[in-house]
Amino acid sequence: MISKKFLFLSLILVFTVLISVACSSGNSSTEPKEPTDPPTETGEAWKEWKGEITIWDGPRWRDAAENQYHWLEAKAAEFEDLYPGVKVKIVQTPWAEMGDSLSVAIAGRAWPDIAPVDISGSAVSINHIESGVIEAIDPFFTAEELADFYPNALAEYEYNGKHYGVPNSMSVHVMLLNLDIFEEKGVEPPANGKWTYDEFVKKMEALTGDGVYGFSTYILDGYYEAWPFLLMDGGYPLNEDLTEYAFDSPEAISGLQKLVDLKTKYNVAPFEMGGPDVGQTWQEWGNAERRSLAVTPWATWAIAAAQGDNFKTNFMVAEYPSGKLGESVSIGGVGGWVMFAQQDDNKKRMTAEFVKHISSTDEQFVMSQNYGTFPARISTADLDPFADNPEMARAQEITEQAVMLPRHPEWARIDEAIQRELQLALNGEKTAEQALSDARRVVESILK
Amino acid sequence: MEVGTSHNVVTKKKPSSKLKNTWKEMKKHKVAYLFLLPKLLFFAIFMLVPIVWAFVLSFLDYGIFEIKWVGLAHYFTAFQSEIFKASLWNTFLYTIVTVPAFIITALVIATLISPLGKVSQTFFRSAFYLPTVTSMVIIAMVWRWMYNYRYGLFNYIIGWFGFEPVNWLGASDTALPSLMIMSILIPPGSGIIIYLAAMNNISPTLYEAAKIDGANAFQRWYKITIPLLTQTTLYLVILSTIGSFQVFTQIIMMTGGGPGYSTETIVHVIYKTAFRDFNFGLASAQSVILFFIIMVFAIFQFKIFRDKN
Repeated sequence: MISKKFLFLSLILVFTVLISVACSSGNSSTEPKEPTDPPTETGEAWKEWKGEITIWDGPRWRDAAENQYHWLEAKAAEFEDLYPGVKVKIVQTPWAEMGDSLSVAIAGRAWPDIAPVDISGSAVSINHIESGVIEAIDPFFTAEELADFYPNALAEYEYNGKHYGVPNSMSVHVMLLNLDIFEEKGVEPPANGKWTYDEFVKKMEALTGDGVYGFSTYILDGYYEAWPFLLMDGGYPLNEDLTEYAFDSPEAISGLQKLVDLKTKYNVAPFEMGGPDVGQTWQEWGNAERRSLAVTPWATWAIAAAQGDNFKTNFMVAEYPSGKLGESVSIGGVGGWVMFAQQDDNKKRMTAEFVKHISSTDEQFVMSQNYGTFPARISTADLDPFADNPEMARAQEITEQAVMLPRHPEWARIDEAIQRELQLALNGEKTAEQALSDARRVVESILK
Repeated sequence: MEVGTSHNVVTKKKPSSKLKNTWKEMKKHKVAYLFLLPKLLFFAIFMLVPIVWAFVLSFLDYGIFEIKWVGLAHYFTAFQSEIFKASLWNTFLYTIVTVPAFIITALVIATLISPLGKVSQTFFRSAFYLPTVTSMVIIAMVWRWMYNYRYGLFNYIIGWFGFEPVNWLGASDTALPSLMIMSILIPPGSGIIIYLAAMNNISPTLYEAAKIDGANAFQRWYKITIPLLTQTTLYLVILSTIGSFQVFTQIIMMTGGGPGYSTETIVHVIYKTAFRDFNFGLASAQSVILFFIIMVFAIFQFKIFRDKN
């Protein structure tokens, strides 16, 4: 009995401590609530700053020694020569882990100074801008320098009139056509890579058979390869001011129905289309030994991959088929360098200088040629980095059709609600209309 | 009620005297407690503090720079969320199917191994324990291939018998059962090892006496082995219940919680709430709910097994 009382008293004590700790934390603020202000004028003092700048980056193209970080290492060495006393520390982070690692680092307030971030992704979002985790880059760029970026690329990093990242590359989703399969089946690829939905279906039907499928793709949170089908008749997930769900419009339903029909009505897609297996889809399209898919949509990194040695493929780039809008629609993304909150103004200025160093016209040219991305700088595009790469040049034309995803702070949750319903529609468990209508309830609760 | 030492009357011992006794005991064995101190410190820093902090966080809106007291709001939000409720249900189903399967499989395999000689026992112990030390990521990748609609082993096998292929992980009604099957078919290495150790500690004289009394093999197993393993079973049931309630790697590797929300589990939801949505307060409230669910299950299991004992 006594031990029970002792236990009870201890529990009360623990909870009293907890509640008092919790209450004492109420409404307290350990750091500024608003995004940090531009740095005070530091003159030339920043050039004398000495210390370490930490940058995270993922693997990029290989050099002769198979090193996939050689480009950034060379840039860091150059910068250290320019500013003796500055050390650039590169943290090699696989792309697949970048989002989670950044999330954990931000949660622990132990972020790097610079990281590569697609602002529409979930690792870094508008919420972080609002809470002051990300520095505005405007104080470090002249109006003339900012004017050298494509406005749509810059706009992705804009919030409340300030820019919270330096756009470094643009990407777009395109259709990749395995020309060997087209040839084997005696099917002509679409002229200039353009086709309507009906023409697309006919070609997919001609390509399907003997263990080969015309088309397939996957549905997964944060992946948008299938989404241009939903947009082809004029659908869009949210209304213009991002306050209402709009993906259950007749236009969006008709777009989803067209995607579902490829599997259920025309039988040109395998049964597993709509599942989450990204790797299998790639293997079936690009691996010579497992080749059984003629056409799949991918983001443009896949063009460089299909031109590399591991998955060398005879392919061409095509547009998504056009629907009721009369022209093809794609989904684009913008990657860039983001500078995280800094305490020291001189370090902030030096860090910004390094960001400028790695996102210059020349560096974006190098990136375009070697890494399969499109430059975010107009001056780089003027250098014509794809003069000898017709597939990338073709994909660059498709960027003009790119629609950006809604920049809603809760987009990751909205995206999940929609993608989960898309999975059910492609499984045949719900009709297109039911799936997109059912997503409304969850999305509306998020938008409230 | 205890008999008092003075005046020979029945008195109630005061809590302070109990504390004093505890303190006396600790002083008496101070060397032992000194050796335990590093471990206790590690426990306090890396277990107790995070658990207490999670409780505190569940009452706060914990922004990266701003902390705000919100009381029970996160708990209301959690219970109003359809996704969280679905995850609770899925996790519960997963647990009530996989835990008994784990226990029964471990018990049966351990029973079959236990009469063998030392060398054979060691071989089977290693064989069954090997999957336990293999990363769940690797196991999940292999099983994802086995469940593949077109190339997977399972559809290949059922194809021999003329059955249509099954969309194991791709359909709402088969995805969760597929994950359960996977958990059931992975050999319960740790359970087998623990059961074997406990079985080897049962005195052979009990079996000999039962044999003389005419008990057959099944009766000896049912009437002697199982009752004497009650404490071990309790330990394994609680451990595997905790493990099942915390199922995560399989989900993130194989289904991502889909299709729809058919394989969404509590820990996967907590993970997304914390590290995707950065809502640490809500994630903590969800964790506290999970903690209480596991606690209730553990108390319930303790009670059942104690009564049986």
